[in-house]
Amino acid sequence: MVYKVKLDVFEGPFDLLVYLIENAEMSIYDIQLSEITKQYMEYIEDMQRRDIVLAGEFMILAATLIEIKSKMLLPRNKFEEDEEGFEDPRSELVEKLLEYKQYKNVAAYLQEQEEINNRIYVKPKEDLSIYTKEPDVFLNLDLIQFIKAFDMFLRRRKKIEEVKNNYTRIKRQEMSMETKIEQMKRILTSRRKLRFRDLLGGVKSRYNVILTFVSLLELIKLKSVKVEQKTNFGEISIIANEIDTQQAEGA
Amino acid sequence: MSSKKTIKSAFESMMFVWGEPLDVKVAADIFNIDWKDAYEYFKELQEEYESEGRGIRIREIDKSFQFCTYIENDEFIQRLCTPIKEKRLTQSAMEVLAIIAYRQPVTKGEIESIRGIKCDRVIEGLIKKNLIEEVGRSTGIGRPILYGTTKLFLEKFGLKNIKELPDIEDIGNIVEDIEETDTGQISLEI
Repeated sequence: MVYKVKLDVFEGPFDLLVYLIENAEMSIYDIQLSEITKQYMEYIEDMQRRDIVLAGEFMILAATLIEIKSKMLLPRNKFEEDEEGFEDPRSELVEKLLEYKQYKNVAAYLQEQEEINNRIYVKPKEDLSIYTKEPDVFLNLDLIQFIKAFDMFLRRRKKIEEVKNNYTRIKRQEMSMETKIEQMKRILTSRRKLRFRDLLGGVKSRYNVILTFVSLLELIKLKSVKVEQKTNFGEISIIANEIDTQQAEGA
Repeated sequence: MSSKKTIKSAFESMMFVWGEPLDVKVAADIFNIDWKDAYEYFKELQEEYESEGRGIRIREIDKSFQFCTYIENDEFIQRLCTPIKEKRLTQSAMEVLAIIAYRQPVTKGEIESIRGIKCDRVIEGLIKKNLIEEVGRSTGIGRPILYGTTKLFLEKFGLKNIKELPDIEDIGNIVEDIEETDTGQISLEI
């Protein structure tokens, strides 16, 4: 006889055992072990095919059942049997089963209580925050709002990451020092004396200022220009060196 | 010193605003009266609502009082708004809860030994639902966590306090009374 009962019906090995005993109309105090063990094993076998982890949990009790069964098969010492202290090998199991059954009953009782209580309605606490006027009222977001905001943040970040992964930022190619020097030399041929800012060509980006300054230093090194600055941080005036400009012209 | 009538009326208003179970001690402190007197007033209020057959009743949970609807009116409330039913606890959750309720403070090991199966996930779920909580550590080996039920547990199961749970020896009979269809063959009498 195989019990094709849905697996999750049983909450554990004891649950299954209690069911089998009840189903076989046996007394819990006089369990016919061979029969029950057989049924229990059949059930586990069936279960193993579906869920080995869960079946494992049922295995310990199977072992216990077999142990008790084998103990009962052993011929009993007559002398021992006569003594009052002789213990039925099943008694420990019976005790456990009874205890389990008790809590199963409590569970049923609680379920009933829950059902009764589900028919009673209560009101949530009044929202008194508008009266208490806490200064950090903006922090009084409810959880849902907070979660939404956080979720939005995560989503936005994900989007940005997505874009970053699929696209790369391309920078406009910056002018090189060589080009800049060429450009400056050209300016210096037409105007022999000028101010530093004239060299910037109206572009005041940090890169351009630095580039221009470094290029100027290079020109000083090449002795193409003379530079004068009257005060700290003051205007730099540049005077082209005659020979060099001619050279530049020649080039 | 406020008169009894004033205090009782105030308690009523406070319960209304509070919604959640109102601690008798908190209420008593507001009027600077004895805890026992305050409790008595709450009990009187509760009695008044009941004897007048009101649709609002007062229930007691763990030395706190709370307004709630009259149980027999649930049908009409449902017709009005079909409130969302809370998901019921699973059978295994109920069993674990039952063991904790009666054996608390109790360790996971004890629970598992009674049920014969692992309970980690069930316990986790119950903690998340705030029905049980850690109440300390056992002095046993490994100092395992001890679990107990919460106030919300009492609230959810309509119990005044944990002592109101029926004697575990009587539970079998109570359950059998509830389930008339019970065809259990095993008698629990010893």
